This record gives sequence, structure tokens and C-alpha cells, in this order.
Amino acid sequence: MDVTEILEAHQAQFKPITVEKLVPVDFDINMLVTFDTNALDEKTLKSKTNTDKYLLELTRDNTQLIVNELFKLPVNSADAGVLAVLPHRKSILPREKELPKDKPLTRWEKFAKVKGIQNSKRERMVYDEETGAYKPRWGYQGAKEEGTVAQDWVIPVPDHGDPMEDQYAKVREEKKGRSETNAKRQRRNQEEGTAATLAGKKDIKEFKKHELQTAIAASKQATASLGKFDAKLKHETKMKGITHQFSETIGDVKAEKNSSLDILKKIVGKNDIVNTEKAVRMQSKREYAANFDNKKKWADKKKFENKKGGDRKRDRDDKKKGGKR
Amino acid sequence: MLRTVKAKNARAKRFLKNREAKVHENPKNTLVVRGSTTSQVVSDALKDLYALKRPNAVYFSKKNEIKPFEDEEKLEFFSRKNDTAHLVVGTHSKKRPHNLTFVRMYNHTVLDMYEFGIENPKSMNSIPGPKCSLGLKPLMVFNGDRFESDEKCKSIKNFFLDFFNGEETSAINLAGLEHVISLTATPDDRILFRTYSIEMKKSGLKTPRVELAEMGPNYDLKMKRVNVPKLDMWKSAVRVPKEVKPKKAKNIEVDEMGDKYGRIHLGKQEIDKIQTRKMKGLRKRGPDDKEDAEEDTAAKKQKVDEEE
Repeated sequence: MDVTEILEAHQAQFKPITVEKLVPVDFDINMLVTFDTNALDEKTLKSKTNTDKYLLELTRDNTQLIVNELFKLPVNSADAGVLAVLPHRKSILPREKELPKDKPLTRWEKFAKVKGIQNSKRERMVYDEETGAYKPRWGYQGAKEEGTVAQDWVIPVPDHGDPMEDQYAKVREEKKGRSETNAKRQRRNQEEGTAATLAGKKDIKEFKKHELQTAIAASKQATASLGKFDAKLKHETKMKGITHQFSETIGDVKAEKNSSLDILKKIVGKNDIVNTEKAVRMQSKREYAANFDNKKKWADKKKFENKKGGDRKRDRDDKKKGGKR
Repeated sequence: MLRTVKAKNARAKRFLKNREAKVHENPKNTLVVRGSTTSQVVSDALKDLYALKRPNAVYFSKKNEIKPFEDEEKLEFFSRKNDTAHLVVGTHSKKRPHNLTFVRMYNHTVLDMYEFGIENPKSMNSIPGPKCSLGLKPLMVFNGDRFESDEKCKSIKNFFLDFFNGEETSAINLAGLEHVISLTATPDDRILFRTYSIEMKKSGLKTPRVELAEMGPNYDLKMKRVNVPKLDMWKSAVRVPKEVKPKKAKNIEVDEMGDKYGRIHLGKQEIDKIQTRKMKGLRKRGPDDKEDAEEDTAAKKQKVDEEE
């Protein structure tokens, strides 16, 4: 037929886009990469002159194959232009940083979650009825702070209020009180969060009851009466089964004699004018202090010897700017 | 150790938040730095790599004393301070001439390191011709079955994929495919690194005919020391957050005819607990009731007959 001949003649003008490969080539289209596992022509690779040409042809073939695949993709026309939509990645690449850790929820966030309260963002622009235009809620051309002369040019005294009281000061004090409670709550949330994360729990209430109790019992050992007379918290129960151990009044006479004599010796029985224990302590401290200076000097000397010209200033810049730029 | 910087204004806070760990990460930055002694070859190579990786790259114009395989702390410090996940260090010595060390970080600790010696260099300036525009994604080609069979070459392949094409994209402009980087693994432990610029010619069909012209840097990289990533670190680096995992569509079946089906589960019906007290029709009828009902119907019939 004439038409096919014409088409073939037309096509013969151009170079082909098909490529023949022994082993079919693998792609990862999302990463625009071709993996060709065909055997390489080692002879040409060894020869100096022909390698570049061989590599160019090989790369051209493989690039043609992936371009063929890319032009088959579905196309999206967006503002930026005509884009081809890529499928998901096949290759596994490592991340740059860790997965982000879930932050512990604050008290309000927990409550809102339970009640199903959604956070709705407020618009910055508010309709101002007096002027009939939209003005920012805060900031450059927006409403000033409530309770200042700029915003409320008059504050009426309430019905049974003191007429001599400064209403502006009153508003200021109230605001200060509110911001202080807010700061307190923030600090409390942060403390609870860090306590929970340190213990590996997400919530401070997740501390098991018996873990808390063992911690409390351990802390009670600090007093001689083992926490019997410590100030208790509201619902704290009495510690059971733990008492201050006293030795028996009648029993081992020899042991009692020895312990009493030891106490007496420590207090009265010292014949030396010098307190030997204290002297040993003081001497060891002095020795340590003396050696410390020597060690430091020696370490610095080594550093100087290693550096070329020993430019200390460069070293400081190095550390400050994250490397010499 | 770096002291943690506290943000004093909103701009600083935004900057620090950008550097934090995220679900969808930023494109990885590269730090290109020269060691204490370098040769012209190495300096040119570093400059070319920096040009290829712009704008996500930092180039230190001064030399720094850094020995990658001995001094991991310094690498971590640089990575943390400059927020870079890739580092390229160039050195030259008699024992290791024209050396390039590529380092990859995970969480600012060394994940893997690859050392190459440059042979047969050809810089971008020495090859005449058009160069590609800045910041475009290159096509990549890996030739040779060694990239599949050899462990070291496999990790080198993964590294170079990440280095040049690691950025997450969901769509590309087909007109922006301007250059291709090809890496060939030869049996004698060499990676032949070539860069070409793409010319799309008419082919009579929709898909163009691809022609390549030599462009950018060409090197024969001789493989030297290779530190592959440790398994446990690799495993944690490769974890996908559940927000990114593709969601499986549950309860949708398509049968042979092409009809979509889903199932609704009603639960077990307890017949003896159905409410029957409030339905008149379900009430039990006594024998009297039955006669009345019949009489009524009979009466109705009679009436009808009489009317007729």
C-alpha cells in the first residue's frame, strides 16, 4: 500500500528509538535511574582509546530506554508547566535524620482529645464596624491592647466599684496575673512532659502505682526513723512493715561493750594533737592540685609541638565557625 | 561538643525548626572540603562536584586538617554545624595520590565512607560545549553486573544514587532532563564516572531520539578503602514513618465482571432478644379473637351480598 511505504520512508529519515538488549534493563523511574546488568565489553574497557566512545554509546542506549519509559508516564498540567507524574520509589535510601519523636501531650491537648475539641484558627483580619473595613486583629495597623488608653479611651467605673480606683491599673494587674498563670501552666506541662519521657512513658499518669511506691519507700530511708514522722502528702498511706531497727537491751554484753568503747575512743580517746584523718585528706587534695597544673602544661606543650607554627588563634576560629571556610 | 543554641527571635526559631528531624526531610546538603595537602587534580574535582551539587552544597575555600578514616569526631562536628548529610574530602599524599573520600551521615554520625583515587581526570572546563543548568536532577545509569553481585559495589551504587538523586520528587518536567551521569563498574575495582549532556532529537514519534555529548567531569575512580554501613544503623536509617507508608485500601474487591464490592458486617442477630412487645401484628391471638375476626369478615361479606 502506498500509505505504509510513505510512512516507512518518512520514518527512515530519523534514527530509531528502540534499543536491543540481551538482559532486560531494570529501572527505578522515581529516581530516573537505569540499572544495566549486561556483561561489559572488557577488551574495549582495557584499551585507552576506545573506552570513552564505548561508554558513550552504552550510556546513550540506556538513557534512551529510560527516556522511553518517562515519556509513557501520565502527564499533569499544573501552574509550573507540564509535569510527568512519577511512581513511588523502588530503591531504599537511608534518611538524613532520625524519625521525629512524638512530643508528650499537654494537659489541655489530652482533654481536647477526649472531648473531641478541634482547634480552629482565627483569621488575622477582623471586620471593623466603625470604619467598615477589614483591619488586622493584632500587629501593624491592628487593634491596640485592651485596657490601654490607645484602645479604650474611657473605662467606666463598675456599679458598686470604688470611684477613686485606677481602672487602667486594674486591667493591667489582671492581665499580668493571667500571663503568670499561663507561664506556670507552661512550666508544669514541660516538667510533666520531661518526667514522662525520661521514664520512657508518654504520660505522667502512666507511672505504675507500685513503681511510685517503691520510689517513695527508697526515699524514706534517708531519715533514721525511716520516714515515720515525715510530712505526708494528701492521700499517702502509712508505710507498713518498715521500722527503725534497735539493738536488744539485754543480750550480747560483749558486743555492747565494744561498740560503746569505740564511740568513746573516737570522741575522747585520741592521744594525737594532730587529727590524722583530716591531715591525710588535706595532703591528698594538695597533691592533686599540684599535679593538675603540671598535667595541663604538659598536655598544652604536646599540642603546640604538633601544630605547624602553633597558631592558637586559627584553632579558635576553626572551632567557632564549624571548620575553616 | 556544641552547646545547644536557643532561639532569641522568631527567625532563629524557624531556622532551627527547619534543621530538626522531620517526617518529610529536606534535600541533603553536601560539604566539599579540602584536606591538609591537595593536588590540582583533586581541587578541580572538588570544584566540579560542588558545581554539580549546587545549591545544596557548601564549599570550604580554606584547607582543613581532616583525616576521614581516623578522625570521625571532626566529620561529625562538621556535619552537625553545617547541617550536611554528605561530605566529600579531597587529599593528596604520596601513599594515596589524588584521593577523594565520600562520607554519608545518619543523624550526624558516620554511616558509610568510600575512598577513591582519581585517575584520568577531565574537568568540566577542559571539555568544550554546553553545560547543564543549575540545580536540575540528573538521569543516572549504572552499567555492569558488579553493581548487583559485589557487596561493596552495591553500597557504592546506593551511595551515588543518594548523593546525586536523593531528593524526593513526585513529578518532573520532561523538558528539564538535561544531563546524565553514568557509572560503570569494571572487574579491576574501578568505577568509570562519566557525565554527558542530553540532546533530544526528532524521531518522528512522540518519544524523542536521545543523543549525548560529553559534558562534565570524567574520572576513573579506583576503589580504595570502603566502610559499608553497619547493619543496625542501616536498619534504623531506613525506617519509614507511618505517615509516609502507602495506605492499603481495605475491603474493596473487584470481581471478574469489573464490579466493585465491599462488605458490611451486621453482627450476630439474637432472635430471642428481639423487641416484640410493641408490634401489634406479632401479638398472640386467643380462640375468641379468632371467631370475632371471622364474624367480622363474614358480616362484611353479607353486607356486600345484600347491597348487590
